[in-house]
Amino acid sequence: MAEPELLLDSNIRLWVVLPIVFITFLVGVIRHYVSILLQSDKKLTLEQVSDSQVLIRSRILRENGKYIPKQSFLMRKFYFNNQEDGFFKNTKRKVVPPSPMTDPSMLTDMMKGNVTNVLPMILIGGWINWTFSGFVTTKVPFPLTLRFKPMLQQGIELLSLDASWVSSASWYFLNVFGLRSMYSLILGQDNGADQSRIMQEQMSGAAMAMPADTNKAFKAEWEALELTDHQWALENIEEELMSRELDLDGMFSKELPTGIF
Amino acid sequence: MANVISFKNEMRDKLRKWREDNHRNSEQIVDVGEELINEHASKLGDDIWIIYEQVMIAALDCSRDDLAWTCLQELKRQFPGSQRVKRLAGMRLEALEKYEDASKQYDSILQDDPTNTAARKRKISILKAQGKSAEAIRELNEYLEQFVGDQEAWHELSELYINEHDYGKAAFCLEELMMTNPHNHLYCEQYAEVKYTQGGLENLELSRKYFAQALKLNNRNMRALFGLYMSASHIAASPKVNATVKKANVKYATWATNQINRAYQVSYARCLL
Repeated sequence: MAEPELLLDSNIRLWVVLPIVFITFLVGVIRHYVSILLQSDKKLTLEQVSDSQVLIRSRILRENGKYIPKQSFLMRKFYFNNQEDGFFKNTKRKVVPPSPMTDPSMLTDMMKGNVTNVLPMILIGGWINWTFSGFVTTKVPFPLTLRFKPMLQQGIELLSLDASWVSSASWYFLNVFGLRSMYSLILGQDNGADQSRIMQEQMSGAAMAMPADTNKAFKAEWEALELTDHQWALENIEEELMSRELDLDGMFSKELPTGIF
Repeated sequence: MANVISFKNEMRDKLRKWREDNHRNSEQIVDVGEELINEHASKLGDDIWIIYEQVMIAALDCSRDDLAWTCLQELKRQFPGSQRVKRLAGMRLEALEKYEDASKQYDSILQDDPTNTAARKRKISILKAQGKSAEAIRELNEYLEQFVGDQEAWHELSELYINEHDYGKAAFCLEELMMTNPHNHLYCEQYAEVKYTQGGLENLELSRKYFAQALKLNNRNMRALFGLYMSASHIAASPKVNATVKKANVKYATWATNQINRAYQVSYARCLL
């Protein structure tokens, strides 16, 4: 038996659905600019810069090592991975995981993060719940079980109402996450309004300290480099080259196309 | 009126193109830039600052200290305490051969920000300008120990080593460059030339291979073609090789000769046009 389809007042669409979208969007934009204003300067130490470049060099060695002679590749691999004095084996960086208690700058960063992101979300969510309460806002296009009813239908005391009909608070939360791609369109990548990314960062949390990462990164590179073999790309280069005539088109012309890099 | 505006835009676009392509055509930049600054300064908006920087460096190249001084003053006024401007001031001192003062200037930048690569590299160029290549090489090595990814520095170091005839180390630097830029035929060619200069059968083989690689990456590289011919014929002429290797190298050399002949024909045909 088909259940009765609810017909919602079109005023709901005009005065509830759209305003909530606008509010969420504008709050997101404001958050982005506030986060830019409150951004603290991240000063990198010499060691960090140096380490990141070493890691890049090792990765390049793994990927493009086939373009240099075998001897040179082995020389570099030895430099990195040697048992006694290889760079990755020997270099241990001081591991100080900055917990929020000890490191004051981390603490202020976390506080700023909380203030700009979580607090507005809670406040506005609550306000919307209070203002736009007592009616159903929209219907999610997929069926939901009854367990979702108390969560999504706060304020609507109807036992027989299908769980797919949700209140305005849930529409608000839907918007918060849904507008993320809109933010990247308008504010560019890596914007301060990206709620879910920030929450992910907070979840991986203070334990993800950069120094510890460096040691682990070194270990990972060491393993990867151990596994790499040298397949010289120039093994049969002459045969490949001489299999056909050289393409001398455009040679000696005034405007040589510079697509040669 | 419209002509003036479009002319200014054209000049501005030219400057931007030169800036992005890293051209070092300093005289042209000074001509265009000076006019732009003197006539149209107010209409350039925020572009003016980067143009000041570009024109200043070009002016230093052309010994136009007056122009360089003007640009520097404007930049100092707008960005007091900026390290980028300090570096420009240091460069001006270098151009005036006041190397001690320039060195002090760069040291002060490094005190504030030890990760500033530009200041370090300028200090090394001071050593190079003073002709102290051994010290320059040492400093550059130290620099590269910390900033292994700086390709400009690797290239500079390879040049310094070549000047000192230390071909082994020059080859090492060029290998770094080849790894980070595997599609750049010029690095392959330079590496092959260094190997050829080092001499010895093994190095000649390597040089032949890398000349071939340079040719593969860019079919029109005449220098690599000649290099291929020379290394192949050199190996073929060497008394220490066995018959198969000799035959193979003679084949390579003949192929290279044919290609060179073809290239000359193409150029002859072009001349006739």
